Amino acid sequence: MTSFVLRRLLASLLIFLAATYIMYVLTAMSGDPLADLRTSTSPQKAQLIASRTALLHLDVPVYLRYFIWLGGVGKCFIGQCDLGVTIQNQPVSVLLGQAASSTLQLVTFASVAAIILGLLVGITTALRQYSSYDYGVTFVSFLFFSLPIFWVAVLLKQYLAIGVNDFLSAPDIPWWFIAVCAPLLGVFWMIVLPWRGRARLWTFLIALAASAAMLIYLKLSNWFTYPHIGIVGLLVTGAAIAFGVTAVSTGLRNRRALYASLIVVGVGCAIYFPFLYGFSFYLEPWSFALLAVGTLLACFFIGWFMGKPERLPVARTATIVGLLMGFIIIVDRMMYVWDDYAGSERVKGRPIATIGSQTPGLEGTMWVHMVDTFTHLLLPTIALILISFATYTRYSRASLLEVMNQDYIRTARAKGLTERTVVVRHGFRNALIPIATIVAFDIGGIIGGAVITERVFGWKGMGALFQYGLDNVDPNPVMAFFLVTGSLAILFNLFADIVYAGLDPRIRLS
Amino acid sequence: MKKSRIAAIVAVAATAVLVLSGCAPQSEVVTGSSLSVAWNQPFYSYNVSTSYGNAAANANITYMTGSSFNFYNDVPELQLDTSFGTYEKISDEPLVVKYTLADTARWSDGEPVTAADLMLTWVAVGGSYNDTTFDPTEYTDPDTGALNGKQPKDVIYFDSGATPDDPTGLGLVTAVPEVSSDGKSVTLTYSKPYVDWELAFGVGLPAHVIGKKALGATSNADGAAAVLKAIQDKDVTALAAISNFWNTGYDFTEMPTDKDLLVANGPYVISDFVADQYITLTANKEYRGAHKPKVEEITVRFIPDPMAAVQALQNGEVQIISPQATADVADALKALPVTTLLSIEGSYEHIDLQFADGKSGTMSNPKLRQAFMMVIPRQEIVDKLIVPLNPEAQVRNSQLFLPGAAGYDDSVKNNGSSAYADVDIEGAKALIAESGVANPEVCMLFSSTNTRRANEFALIQQSGALAGFNVTDCSSPDWGGLLGTPGVYDAALFAWQNTSLGVTQSSPTFHSGGINNLNFYSNPEVDTLLDELDGTFDAAKQITLQQQIDKLVWSDYYGVTVFQFPAVTAFDQTKIANVTSAPLAPTFFWNFWEWAPVSK
Repeated sequence: MTSFVLRRLLASLLIFLAATYIMYVLTAMSGDPLADLRTSTSPQKAQLIASRTALLHLDVPVYLRYFIWLGGVGKCFIGQCDLGVTIQNQPVSVLLGQAASSTLQLVTFASVAAIILGLLVGITTALRQYSSYDYGVTFVSFLFFSLPIFWVAVLLKQYLAIGVNDFLSAPDIPWWFIAVCAPLLGVFWMIVLPWRGRARLWTFLIALAASAAMLIYLKLSNWFTYPHIGIVGLLVTGAAIAFGVTAVSTGLRNRRALYASLIVVGVGCAIYFPFLYGFSFYLEPWSFALLAVGTLLACFFIGWFMGKPERLPVARTATIVGLLMGFIIIVDRMMYVWDDYAGSERVKGRPIATIGSQTPGLEGTMWVHMVDTFTHLLLPTIALILISFATYTRYSRASLLEVMNQDYIRTARAKGLTERTVVVRHGFRNALIPIATIVAFDIGGIIGGAVITERVFGWKGMGALFQYGLDNVDPNPVMAFFLVTGSLAILFNLFADIVYAGLDPRIRLS
Repeated sequence: MKKSRIAAIVAVAATAVLVLSGCAPQSEVVTGSSLSVAWNQPFYSYNVSTSYGNAAANANITYMTGSSFNFYNDVPELQLDTSFGTYEKISDEPLVVKYTLADTARWSDGEPVTAADLMLTWVAVGGSYNDTTFDPTEYTDPDTGALNGKQPKDVIYFDSGATPDDPTGLGLVTAVPEVSSDGKSVTLTYSKPYVDWELAFGVGLPAHVIGKKALGATSNADGAAAVLKAIQDKDVTALAAISNFWNTGYDFTEMPTDKDLLVANGPYVISDFVADQYITLTANKEYRGAHKPKVEEITVRFIPDPMAAVQALQNGEVQIISPQATADVADALKALPVTTLLSIEGSYEHIDLQFADGKSGTMSNPKLRQAFMMVIPRQEIVDKLIVPLNPEAQVRNSQLFLPGAAGYDDSVKNNGSSAYADVDIEGAKALIAESGVANPEVCMLFSSTNTRRANEFALIQQSGALAGFNVTDCSSPDWGGLLGTPGVYDAALFAWQNTSLGVTQSSPTFHSGGINNLNFYSNPEVDTLLDELDGTFDAAKQITLQQQIDKLVWSDYYGVTVFQFPAVTAFDQTKIANVTSAPLAPTFFWNFWEWAPVSK
């Protein structure tokens, strides 16, 4: 294993070195770094040109200038990274730090959400191959896949930001909207949920009624001004989570797991009011993180105590339920601060943002800043999810379909395993192998690949660094970008190979 | 007794004038009023006098945090701010100018602005003390190329782009300026006449802060005194330390931990700065000048994408935008209930013809130059490419004057540009026949990556073909480096960026051998007039000379000017009033103190 990793790393390093050389030369030769000064009528023109030439070593031929840059990078090994300066005499290493943190903030949640959503939809479509749900998802995912991101961004801003903000200034759901929307939602659930025949009609009717009730409640409770989930909402969703997670994780027949989950939900509901009106006001990011870890540990122990003789699966189930419950309580807490946030002097009643990562000058508790981050991340995250959604659904669907037709699945069914065990343990796990490659690739790619998304949403991340360098024929920021994305691509490829070995016992790294 | 009586009369008169003229400064800050403005590039240096810090993204901010003796308004004309200080030209030959700071000029930490601050600008921007033997490449960190504070302790090098070898502007003041005994006035003596002297001098960074940071002074007064003394005594060690700090100490891309760096003398001070997101300016409580702002807080948000800026305006996240003018932006703004201001930028598109050393040599022939100028469809280019962005766009008809500036209209009437107002195919054919050259070739150099220029080229090519010109494509992504290269092209299509109305900008372009004379134009008469212009202080006389030069340049078939770059500024009139656009930097920021919040 060690020798495999070392060999891979060495080979990658040599390839990477050659790639940086090509990249450097191509960037440096892509234009004229003095273009803006050449058309200047400043009396200091000659001196400015001389100054920039000295700053960027433009008097050294490109082929050799690369080695000046490489020398600076080489110093990383002695702890003094030197990635050069930009045309504006800013140290690239500082810019890289700022850009990387901004990009990570932008893509982390989007990647995780896209992977979970993609896998979930991909697997369900595979299990119900050639159903109208399957066809619908295929249609939608290809639609998203073919939309250009800059256009999606403009549409998202127009309708989801400007439109929603306009709506929020006087939120009222008209009755005709409920009349149109509820049946549509009914049809949606009828298609998504698996039941057939007469049950299908019931699905439609129940979904219709539930949707209509929900919309009427939103309208009458003035929900969009004072959004909330409330204790009732928490109880209902909590119960659904407990049953759902247990069904997938251990199967409902494992009563201990179910009871542990329900206890977790009960504890969540019990601390709901003290949390909402009490200690949540005093939380700082660090104590919040501590609380989150503590909560998960507590859930784990609830499962552990409830779970004998087979403790681990129960503990796992309880922890997942605890995680989801915590998430809902946090969302509810953020909703609690919503009207304060939206009506504040800084936000001026237009909460959904189209640019940037924060509202300038906004002051408030941790929750206010969380809401602020949410309103700024919302649109770019949706845009990023839409791009990767198609890939993940298609690959996971294809992969699971192939696995489900294997002999060992038939064997598993033949020996009388439940469908859940067959799908989750024998099917899903094996289907993950090819997806691991895609995910590893994508995470490497998405960090550098959000160029357009960053630009249209006014985030200055890695993409902006890259674009800035190209626009100004300035190789140093481009190379910094390339160093990070290139090494991430190499690392994640390596990870993918190692993960293979973990997922598939037939593969051994040697 | 007599003296004090005079002083009393002067004081009463001055107060009366101030009160009567209504410019007695009074606070009009609407408490809590805030405003967001979009700009396409993040701020990166608080010192705009360094060779790399000199960018609009920085200058807009320092314009609001700083005061100056003068500024450009939206006409553009140079305006004075006497609440900061006054200047007076004492003699023409030698050129002697006395700058006096007003008592109302003070820094945001309460310190008065003094002669030490002016002297710092002189030593830094003028660069007269710069070590001429100093080669920055030799002494900087060879791996970064940056002056990152490692330069030798005894070398004075202010990186302002000035060189004592071939001085210009403030660099011509080689003798140490004279400081008055009250420490409020500085008298500059230029070693040779410099007619744009009004644009050459002002207050930049605070000497007392630099004295503390670079020289280790413990109090503000000591800091200013130490800097002043170092300059007056030419203390090499101290000045080396000052130059070190001046070059790099003010480069920051997020809120600096050292708040001393934010000390400013203008209507606003920087109060918040988040890297790559926004910079917030808050009204300076110590400001006593005439530009008292009405908005308490201005946030400049960095939005590079033009459409993103439009949608941010629509969503109320910013109230003023000035995105790059594109057809999409023009259409989008038309549909919004905002006020859109159409104007021009300082840059202008023009076509230069190579008088010598052209690729085909066609343009060495004056008849063919004239013929080619006749076929360039200037009006069509403007109508097809610029009017969609700015319906009021017009052809620029002067080589020297900015449209709207004093002298432009008169010059256009007389400079002979009217002969090229419309395409004259027949006239061009006749001239080509006269020249005896069949099917003359004109190879045009322009940026191959610029779509607009490619479209302009296509229009010129079509029109030229009608008259018999074989207009060919010499475009290159590296066009800037090819400018002025002999034997590469016959005509160049590009833009000059004008950042001021300074008359000395003309010499480098039109004088024989000038640095911007890339088409080998040479006319002894023009050279004489340019030399005269560079030594003429009288504004009316300057305009007359410029008009004469303009006329000669056109009658030599120099080439044509096409259009001024269009600019668009849009603002939400339900939130903010008194926003106007201006062609020269700092564009729409020029009257920021007049911006007034609109109460609902």
